[in-house]
Amino acid sequence: MACVALACEPGLTPPPDVEPGFGGVVRFERGTWPPRDSLVNLWIFASQIYPLDSAKIFAGLFSNPPSIYIYPSFTDNISLYVDSVTYAFKVPPATYRYVGVLQRFKDEITPRALRVVGVYVDRPNSMQPGEVHVRPYEFLRNIDINVNFHKLPLQPF
Amino acid sequence: MKSIAYLFLVLLLSSAAWAQSPSASIRGVVRDGGSKQPLVGANVIVRGTVVGTATDRRGEFQLSRVPAGRQALVVSMVGYERKVVEDFVLMPGQEIRLEIELRAVPIQTEQIVITASRREQSLQDVPVSVSTVTAEMIALRNHVTLDDALRYVSGVNLLQDQVNIRGSTGYSRGVGSRVLLLLDGLPFLTGDTGEINWEVIPVHEVERLEVVKGAGSALYGSSALGGVINVLTRTMQEGMSVRFRTYGGVYDKPRFREWEWDSKARFKTGFMLSLSNRAGGLGYQVSVHRSVDESYRQNDASHRWNLYGKVRYDLSSSQTLTLSANLLQRVRGNFFWWKDLREATRPAESQLDGRVESLRGNIGLSYKEFVSEKFLLTMKGMYYGNDWEDLKRDVRNYYSRSHLFQGDVQGTYEFSRKNILTFGIAGNYDIVDANLFGRHPGAGAALYLQDELEMADRWKVTIGARLDWQKVSVLPSTTQLDPKIGIVYTLSTETRLRASFGSGFRYPSISELYIESPKNISQIPIVPNAQLKVEKSTSVEVGFNSYVGAHLVVDGAVFSSSFTNLIEPAVAFTDNNEPYIRFDNVTRARIQGGEIAANIDWWRRVFTTQVGYTYIWPRDLTENTFLKFRPRHILYATGSIVAEPFQAGVDFRYVSRLDRIDENLVRFAPIPQGEQRVAIKVVDVRCLYSTAIGSFPLRLGFNVNNLLNYHYVELIGNLAPLRTYFLTVEGVL
Repeated sequence: MACVALACEPGLTPPPDVEPGFGGVVRFERGTWPPRDSLVNLWIFASQIYPLDSAKIFAGLFSNPPSIYIYPSFTDNISLYVDSVTYAFKVPPATYRYVGVLQRFKDEITPRALRVVGVYVDRPNSMQPGEVHVRPYEFLRNIDINVNFHKLPLQPF
Repeated sequence: MKSIAYLFLVLLLSSAAWAQSPSASIRGVVRDGGSKQPLVGANVIVRGTVVGTATDRRGEFQLSRVPAGRQALVVSMVGYERKVVEDFVLMPGQEIRLEIELRAVPIQTEQIVITASRREQSLQDVPVSVSTVTAEMIALRNHVTLDDALRYVSGVNLLQDQVNIRGSTGYSRGVGSRVLLLLDGLPFLTGDTGEINWEVIPVHEVERLEVVKGAGSALYGSSALGGVINVLTRTMQEGMSVRFRTYGGVYDKPRFREWEWDSKARFKTGFMLSLSNRAGGLGYQVSVHRSVDESYRQNDASHRWNLYGKVRYDLSSSQTLTLSANLLQRVRGNFFWWKDLREATRPAESQLDGRVESLRGNIGLSYKEFVSEKFLLTMKGMYYGNDWEDLKRDVRNYYSRSHLFQGDVQGTYEFSRKNILTFGIAGNYDIVDANLFGRHPGAGAALYLQDELEMADRWKVTIGARLDWQKVSVLPSTTQLDPKIGIVYTLSTETRLRASFGSGFRYPSISELYIESPKNISQIPIVPNAQLKVEKSTSVEVGFNSYVGAHLVVDGAVFSSSFTNLIEPAVAFTDNNEPYIRFDNVTRARIQGGEIAANIDWWRRVFTTQVGYTYIWPRDLTENTFLKFRPRHILYATGSIVAEPFQAGVDFRYVSRLDRIDENLVRFAPIPQGEQRVAIKVVDVRCLYSTAIGSFPLRLGFNVNNLLNYHYVELIGNLAPLRTYFLTVEGVL
């Protein structure tokens, strides 16, 4: 009987073929949305590096492979003027030390045109960004981010 | 030069004395007392001399040049009661013939071990827990390296090739061992990393393994923190014999298509050829072993050659000189850990195209003399060299060369049958040259002393201590004193109680002290730490050994070990938040537990069972949690049935899921899904058919390892071998 029970048990099994990444909800504080002309882009970002400076941002975005990823894409935005948006961000397996929402408020591509408007934290009221550890074949849920355009988090640059 | 000349003179005179001394010879046969079948491999020794042999395939033995006069013969074999053929008188030139019968007794009864006290003694007289593995079991299970044989020893588990006795070791890959390996009584750890290399040991020339559990530095010095494993090579038989063994195996497919990385079958094959000849006082033994393992994993194939030789010359009936040499040449793929669990049979990208080439070997010389009936002197020396290179597409990344010289002079003096003193000195010198560790010398010396006293018939007390001095490179020297005490109480003829206290220590290896890598294979920089302190342990054990009737032997123990200054790789961060690894004395620990083992002879040794269970409670006192990489439950069960000419057996191995691993290692190495692990539940089966071609015995074997194709890891990120089918053929000419 013991052998039969054992024979049915495979031990370790390969995980299902899931594209790795993380997802959750971005919640926007009502009545804080900025005017349209200062919302050139609104992205979710995931950076393996923290803290950041101008050089690290550009190196992180344009190195191969990148260490900073943008969602949904450079040319696209997450939904604007809504109370919340659900997202699913596919990223390579790695530890992301800095995850948040990035606003491009000027029509130029320099760090001066960017500001972080929301940061993922893993503990309530924490000032430090929470880490998101994405493993192969694993999609993490409940990586929720709160955005208040009137009360910006500590900027990394 | 003078001393060498003196040594030659002594040897010459000894030989001359040997040639002139009046001698006689003894022939005979050793049989099973019940079946009257001849016993192969029984040891036959003239008491108080070095004259001895093992019985051949017909159970016969021949001892020539036995000193004339009153003599006694000691005959022993595992599973049989030791017999002393007392006080017979030999006249010069006389040849006598003896018919000796041994009484079969439950397994391990009256078994002789030498590791626990540095001298031969009955297993029941030993105050610590000792397990043995015989050459027969190694052959029956078709073990190609000795670490495989240890997987069926009670209280022992392996993390791939790192041996763990009662939870002492944990993860120590490439950086030292907390279990001391001895080869014929001398330490056999590599000079650079201080670890065990199992493949260098000529597995087919092994007579038995002895596993002593608990701290053992009071007799053997550094690294005997959690236990000692002594590998004893074969005794030469009188006359010429040729042994051969060949095996062919094939790995089955994994249960899941995701892990099938090669459409072709993967094979594991090898052969061994051994020639032994002994006539009178001179004997030699040479063997060659070729092994090719294509592996079930990508870039994990291993090709190796082992050459082994031994020459024994009996200078007289009381003196013997043995020279042995051993060489391993191996090329192996560099599979360090998997790419991820979904591709568990493929290595991480950085390990593709990598391989390790190694050349390792040892030369040993030993001299043994019965100076008098009461005084045995043993001198041993060994050189152990290691040379390996880590290559990536034929470009050398890392290399290491180490040369280790060591010697040991031991005296055993028998004041009386009830008082035996063992004492000696030991020394070692090693030099390491490696691009990972730098160039560093090391040296050590030690004195040891042990007294065994038998009191009031029922009590045997062993007290001993060892003083070690060690110096590595330019670091300050350190000294270490390790005491031991053991008590055996004979409750009845069937039952003995034992208690022991011992201490152990381990010097940090050269690799732990000096390893420096800006970015090694683990992708994280490693920085040296020359401030590392000595690891220490103390262990206490209380146990019993009892025969219940004629068919059951039970051995049980409870134990507690404390460890301080355990060295572990610790991940830290620079000011720029970059991770790096450094070895540090980080942990205090306590391991407590109990062990029970039973050998059962159900019916006339036709059907036997062995069961061993060990419970371990491994606590990290620094972090107040479980120690990393230690299981809590280890269970082994073996059943064998013998119906000549057939034999069959089944082995079951259970090791509980590790409560804790090193999450930082998994995260920063990184080892994708390295935290994935399950309990180990493995079933192996074997059957054997014995036949003969003419007068030459032949054995055909069929083994299936991991019958149920259970998938597990012993070492994180390393899928253990799949179901494997083996055919073996072995014989003696």
